Amino acid sequence: MANNNGHFEQNNSSGFSDETIRRFLLGELGESAQPLFEQQMFTDAGLDARVRLAEIDLADDYAFERLSAADRILFEERFMVTSRRRRELNVSSALRDRFSMRATVAWAEKITVAKRWRHLFGFNRPAWKIAFGVLILLILFGTVLLVVKEPQITQRITNKVFPKRSAPRSSPQEVHHPTNNLVPEHQTTPAPMALHDSANPLTESAVLFPSPPDLGKTPTLTLPNGENSVVRLRLAVLDQTVPYRAEVLTIDGKSVFSVDWLGGPPFNVDVSASLLKSGKYQIRLSDARDGSKKEVASYYFWIQ
Amino acid sequence: MSPAKTLHIIKQEDFDRLLMWLDPDPERAGLTYEKIRWRLVAILASRGCTCPEELADETIDRVARRVIDIQASYVGDQAIYFLGVMNNVHHEYLKRPMMPRPPAPDDNVETKERTYLCLEKCLHKLSANSRRMIEQYYAEDKRAKIDLRKRIAAELGIGLSTLRLRALRVRDKLQTCIEQCLEMGSF
Repeated sequence: MANNNGHFEQNNSSGFSDETIRRFLLGELGESAQPLFEQQMFTDAGLDARVRLAEIDLADDYAFERLSAADRILFEERFMVTSRRRRELNVSSALRDRFSMRATVAWAEKITVAKRWRHLFGFNRPAWKIAFGVLILLILFGTVLLVVKEPQITQRITNKVFPKRSAPRSSPQEVHHPTNNLVPEHQTTPAPMALHDSANPLTESAVLFPSPPDLGKTPTLTLPNGENSVVRLRLAVLDQTVPYRAEVLTIDGKSVFSVDWLGGPPFNVDVSASLLKSGKYQIRLSDARDGSKKEVASYYFWIQ
Repeated sequence: MSPAKTLHIIKQEDFDRLLMWLDPDPERAGLTYEKIRWRLVAILASRGCTCPEELADETIDRVARRVIDIQASYVGDQAIYFLGVMNNVHHEYLKRPMMPRPPAPDDNVETKERTYLCLEKCLHKLSANSRRMIEQYYAEDKRAKIDLRKRIAAELGIGLSTLRLRALRVRDKLQTCIEQCLEMGSF
């Protein structure tokens, strides 16, 4: 006979109902009934099997939230004290997730994703774990060996990644005059000026290095006076064998000046002072051979 | 002191003697041993012990060491003897200072995932009828579930109590299958 809770009032040879078995499992059997029940557990194989099934039933009822509040507390404090029962509850919870209407979709996703990853490459196999471990150890060992045995290679790599910066010589340099007492001969014919320089008298220059926009040490140049004045920006580039395209932009992204084919070294961008005014500028460098104009480096400078 | 710390390491010869005393057939002896241990754990848990497994092992340990003295003279069901020894162990446990309940091991996400995978695998091992029964038995909950069970029982031409018993037996098989699957890592 089923009662309203879905349990069954059943008497058999042992004389204990299902409810009595449940009370035993929850540690709530009366003092008089307990010894009798225990004795029967050892003598009645049928009772033994029923208790076993009642354990599973109880775990199911807990997982499916069919226990009263009082029984839930007893379950947690009195029943969940063995590893076997914890495993039973794990399976009950898995069954709930698997067959509950609400969770069917979530279950399917859980299974497919987990299974796909596990079985696609067989990552659950111990051999993979060992192989990954050995690989990491080899990489570590190789790195240490490289640093210790071949420091020049390490140095070369470091230099390539972080090129040595030559300080821009904006301040006057000390001139080393010859120490002899000979009177210097007056040069009557000035050396011919470079064509580029003669066309655009250079009055301000700076060496720029690739940097993020918010770097604190942005070079600052003073805007020279004069219509023909030119600001020369020498760009430090990593790969000096490539021709570049350089575009000078205001910090708002407005294009001011561009050079479509910038060969080098040196990689100089000469901007007419008349095109510049006070503010922060960016030079966007891209590979001139690449039509996409994908940026390879950015330089920033201030004009006072 | 934790009861576990008072346990002695059971000697192999004592253990073999215990199994022999339980049943001369090693396989049956093993099953009897498992059953007795499970009963001890269930009773000790019902008595409110916080570490029933440790106390059950302590009981078995004591019996194993006594078998050499009693095996010739003992008459009756050997399992009953365990009950007597367990009462002594429990009595001593009650005299010990109350220990805080050991924290339950935290079942992590990985364990749950593995259980899900094993459940799926074990469900496929069931016969079509058993699988269908389990699917329907656990399909819905509360009131809807009871109605559904009545329908399944009617379809199968059996009573509700028989349906429950059958479903729980299949569920028991699933439990065993999943535990083996988890142990072997074959999900």
